[in-house]
Amino acid sequence: MVGLVIVSHSAKIALGVKELAGQMADSKLLIVAAGGMPDGSLGTDTLRIHEAIIEANSGQGVVILVDLGSAVLSARTALELLGQEGDGQVYIADAPLVEGAISAAVEASIGGSLAEVIAAAEAAREILKL
Amino acid sequence: MVEAKVFLTNKLGLHARSAAMLTKVAAKFDSVVHLYGASKSANAKSVLMVMSLGLSKGAALTITAHGPDEAACLVALTDLVANNFYEE
Repeated sequence: MVGLVIVSHSAKIALGVKELAGQMADSKLLIVAAGGMPDGSLGTDTLRIHEAIIEANSGQGVVILVDLGSAVLSARTALELLGQEGDGQVYIADAPLVEGAISAAVEASIGGSLAEVIAAAEAAREILKL
Repeated sequence: MVEAKVFLTNKLGLHARSAAMLTKVAAKFDSVVHLYGASKSANAKSVLMVMSLGLSKGAALTITAHGPDEAACLVALTDLVANNFYEE
């Protein structure tokens, strides 16, 4: 299954999203939380994200969900660190964090391909709640 | 096309986990599956759309399936609801 990495400026948010998405997903789905800084403060940490990507990859690629635009820079730098390993295997979804993660988790659980999981995450942009 | 009207009898209705289960079951079939409830409709294969119906316990839900495996699909989904999403 495609793995997921949850990036947030807040460690609690990342863990919470992981918990919620995990509840709806296959128990074997790898969802790795990468939120906050090593000292527990708010922010996004490139090295942490890099480690998370490796942890989440079971061979079928990884989709990264981010909370705020500024997390994209950290995620992109993490991708650069991966170098060739990440090539074509790891993508950042342009999607809302919670809804994108849930949608991606369900799609990955039913065996969706990397492209399908990204599409599922990004489809969350269009869905109205009310 | 086949259709069935059911009532949600499980405690939490179509919340996160049950919505995900329903989506996963619907995804196994080739048929196009829609849900109708609370004056809204949802593509059953989109977990976010299913959750946006906001259906709770006791709510009426109409399920439609259209495609080569529509009969089996409808049975699978109505069974899931009838079994309270195996929640309790």
